[in-house]
Amino acid sequence: MTDCLEIIDVYKDYSGLAVLSGVQFTVKRKERHAVIGPNGAGKTTLFNIISGKFRASSGTIRFKGQDISRKSAYALNRLGISRSFQITNVFQELSVFENIRSGVRSRYGLRYHFLRKPDSNARINERTAAIAENLGLKDVLHVPVSALSYGQQRALEIGIALSTDPDLILLDEPTAGMTREETVQAIETIDRVTAGLTLIIIEHDMDVVFSLADTISVLHYGKILISGAPDIIRSDQRVKDAYLGEDHL
Amino acid sequence: MIFQKKASHFVIAVLFLVGGLAPFALRQYQVAMLTEIIFFALYAVSYNLLLGYAGLLSFGHAMFFGTGAFTAAVALVCIPGISIWSDIFLAVLMAILVGLVVGSLLLRTKGAYFALLTLAFNSLFYVVATKWSSVTGGDDGLSITRPNISIGSITIQLAGITSFYYFTLVIIGMAIVFCWYFTHTAMGRTVLLIRENEERMNFLGYNTHISRLLLFVFTGAAAGLAGAFYSLHFQFVSISAISVDMTTTVLLMAFVGGTGTFWGPILGTFVYIIVQSYLSDLTDHWPLFMGLIFVFMVLVMPGGLSQIIQKIPGVFSGKSGDEPGDRVVTEETIL
Ligand SMILES: Nc1ncnc2c1ncn2[C@@H]1O[C@H](COP(=O)(O)OP(=O)(O)OP(=O)(O)O)[C@@H](O)[C@H]1O
Ligand SMILES: [Mg+2]
Repeated sequence: MTDCLEIIDVYKDYSGLAVLSGVQFTVKRKERHAVIGPNGAGKTTLFNIISGKFRASSGTIRFKGQDISRKSAYALNRLGISRSFQITNVFQELSVFENIRSGVRSRYGLRYHFLRKPDSNARINERTAAIAENLGLKDVLHVPVSALSYGQQRALEIGIALSTDPDLILLDEPTAGMTREETVQAIETIDRVTAGLTLIIIEHDMDVVFSLADTISVLHYGKILISGAPDIIRSDQRVKDAYLGEDHL
Repeated sequence: MIFQKKASHFVIAVLFLVGGLAPFALRQYQVAMLTEIIFFALYAVSYNLLLGYAGLLSFGHAMFFGTGAFTAAVALVCIPGISIWSDIFLAVLMAILVGLVVGSLLLRTKGAYFALLTLAFNSLFYVVATKWSSVTGGDDGLSITRPNISIGSITIQLAGITSFYYFTLVIIGMAIVFCWYFTHTAMGRTVLLIRENEERMNFLGYNTHISRLLLFVFTGAAAGLAGAFYSLHFQFVSISAISVDMTTTVLLMAFVGGTGTFWGPILGTFVYIIVQSYLSDLTDHWPLFMGLIFVFMVLVMPGGLSQIIQKIPGVFSGKSGDEPGDRVVTEETIL
């Protein structure tokens, strides 16, 4: 079984508004998979369904062969699915360290203990520091998030997603709001820190997408227009018409 | 922050020391008042774990306090020869059961719904206590006699004010210290992180409903313990112990001291009990004046007395010994 994630005929409507109508694609293990599509295409909605924020109106999602369509967010995380958010969604008042540690200790099973202190668990604290260092947040470890630059906050967003040691990581426009150079930089970091994981990324910058991804799925009007290797996507006439400007080709 | 981590150890030691020596300097009625302050302080601290740490405004904390108070009293009446340990244990156990049942029903509620439902449950408990007079004594209340402690062949008399004071200082004091410790544990931090961003916690593998339930039960157990000491202290319990007034009392204590710090509610309890005893000597209308003080506090210094103390530089704060440069809100405002 090499498929990590299978999305089978997923529909989603918000009280009448059909957002996804029969989405279907698979993501192989360790694949770098990009989801592209115009604004409002339903990309974030798709992530919300995979990660358990919402349930699909119908359809099935399988993770490593197991049907996960009805599981809640916390259960999916424990199975190995983690996500980041398009709009930074962290613990604003807390330090970078405590932000990342929240996920690390969850992974180590230290969630609800009434006696054990995270402070005195060396393995958890080391792992937390390592993740922060990997994302260039070492110098701001004990700084509250509200005092970070935007770029650092975006890095932390990824750090938190990584903190539970997922097998599958979903990154929703990690470079949103960044300049071209920052984007290229950020993508390099993402490629490095997610090495060995299955990655699904939503990204608008086409050059970045074509250089990073092994497989690209194009979401258009609630359906996957096409899913395949960058070369195939690049030369597909429907994609050209629907989404890519001629200047990209 | 009002007390840093290392400083907290120091404060705990000083409080126990002062508490241990206090009876030598005080009159009997003052020792009795101090006893009252100690168990009400646990009540206020437990309440603040909900309000200050978890951000949950409950109007139902008296149902735990009252359950503890009534269980302790009823057990003494109904089970002849019951030891004080079993009595207290039963009281806490009942509070835990109440917490589990009510908490499960409130599992998914937050904010205004949570506040209103806790109020409704508290009223329900009050009505049951009033109507079930064969057990609770109804409007007349229940009188009890405090049992002594027996450990093997040694018996410690608890009938006296001072001996019961020391018993309270040790048992309730340890419970308060545990509550303080709790705020540093995995669960204590989890509660705070959920207050900060519940959605993200869900995506990090935390079942936030269960977390809230566990906290609700824990704070309920602590309030139940405080309630048991209330009965043992006054050797009497009436339905006022489970009334919404008793919830308002704890809200006031926490607010007066400040909900942004761990120690604030203890200070608040101290001030509340002393001011109340002073006012009630002067006038029968003391609740009116307490109410005015509360309104004044909320309007003028929402951070409570501890906010004022924090503003006096260098009085309590020093450089943190454990985590240099850690300016986390939780260390800052809630320690
Ligand atoms: N919770 C919701 N309730 C109702 N409608 C929603 C909800 N979330 C999204 N929508 C609608 O669904 C559609 C798809 O939104 P979605 O956020 O999934 O798009 P997207 O592809 O992520 O867009 P973008 O590139 O702008 O992030 C939009 O029309 C949006 O208004
Ligand atoms: Mg989106």
